[in-house]
Amino acid sequence: MMTATSNRLIRDYLDDFRSLTRDLPKRRRDELLGEIEAHIAEALSPQPSEAEIRAVLDRLGDPEQIAAEERERLGIVPKRAGALEWIAVVLLLIGGIVVPVIGWIVGVVLLWASSVWTVRDKLIGTLVVPGGLLPALYFTVAPVWVTREVCRGVPVQAGPGHVGPGGAIVCTASPTATGRVLGIAILVVLAVAPVLTAIYLARRAKRATVAGA
Amino acid sequence: MVAPVSDGLPSQLRRGVLEYCVLALLRDGERYGFELVHTLGEIDGMVTSEGTLYPLLGRLRREGVVETTWRESDAGPPRRYYQLTAKGRAALDRFTGEWTRFRDAVDRVLQQRRSR
Repeated sequence: MMTATSNRLIRDYLDDFRSLTRDLPKRRRDELLGEIEAHIAEALSPQPSEAEIRAVLDRLGDPEQIAAEERERLGIVPKRAGALEWIAVVLLLIGGIVVPVIGWIVGVVLLWASSVWTVRDKLIGTLVVPGGLLPALYFTVAPVWVTREVCRGVPVQAGPGHVGPGGAIVCTASPTATGRVLGIAILVVLAVAPVLTAIYLARRAKRATVAGA
Repeated sequence: MVAPVSDGLPSQLRRGVLEYCVLALLRDGERYGFELVHTLGEIDGMVTSEGTLYPLLGRLRREGVVETTWRESDAGPPRRYYQLTAKGRAALDRFTGEWTRFRDAVDRVLQQRRSR
C-alpha cells in the first residue's frame, strides 16, 4: 500500500495541474489530465517508495511547464499584460484623486478595453470601490457623516430692548461615539478595499491568458 | 514570439524536431502513450520534462500524422496505442532526408576554421 505521504504527493501534483490548466478547453484539459494520471500509474512499481514517486513526478516535470506546452501546441497565446493594464490598475486606484473623478473613469475605460481580464474581474475592478481611493480621501477630509449637529438657540438682540422674532440658531458638529467607531470602520474598508482590488487585478493580469490565432 | 535560448538550443527548434522523433519511434509499429513518452525521456538531451510530450501527442493526433486505438492491457486500465498514418509516414520520410542535409550543413559551419 502507498503511504499517506505518497498519496498526498500525487494528489498535490494533480491538483496543481488542474488549477494551472483552468484556461484550457475542457475536453483537452480532461484528456491531458487522464494521460498524466495514466503515466504516473504506469511509471510506478506496485509498492512505490516515496523517493520513487518523487522521481517519477520530477521526470514528468513542472505542471506549469506542461500547461505552457499545451497552450503552445494548441496555439493559445499567453496574453502578456502591457502598459495599458498597469496604467488601468494605477488609475483605478489613485486616478480619481490626481484628476478628480475623471482619472478614475479613464481607468474604468482602460479596464474594460483590456483583454487580459474576465468580465468578473472587470466588475470587481469597477465596483470595488467606485472612485478608487477617492471616497476614502473624501470622507477623511470631510467627516460630515460621523457627526451629529448640536444646536442651541441663542436669542439675538435685534435692537435695544427687543428680542428678534426667531433668534439665531448656532450649531456645532460633534461626533457621536457609535458614529465615530462606525466611521473609522467604513473608512478603513474604503481605504483597504481598492488596494486589495488593485493587487487582485495585477495578479490576474500576470497570469491571464487569452485564446489567440 | 521570441524563443528562449537559455538552454543553448532555441526551444522552437527543439520543439519542431521533437515531433519527428515521436514519428520515428512509431516507424516500426505501434506504441502506447507512456511507452513513447518514457522512451524519449530516457534519451539523454531529448526532453527535460516527460509531461510536455503529452501536449505534443495531442497535436500530432489533431494533425492526422498519427492515429490511436484503445486496447485493453494486462496490467491496469486500457492503453491508447499510437500508430503512423500514411500522412505521418510521408512527413517522416521528408524530414529524415532534409534533416540529414541540414545537420551536415550546420556541422560543417560550426566546425569551420578560418585558414591563416
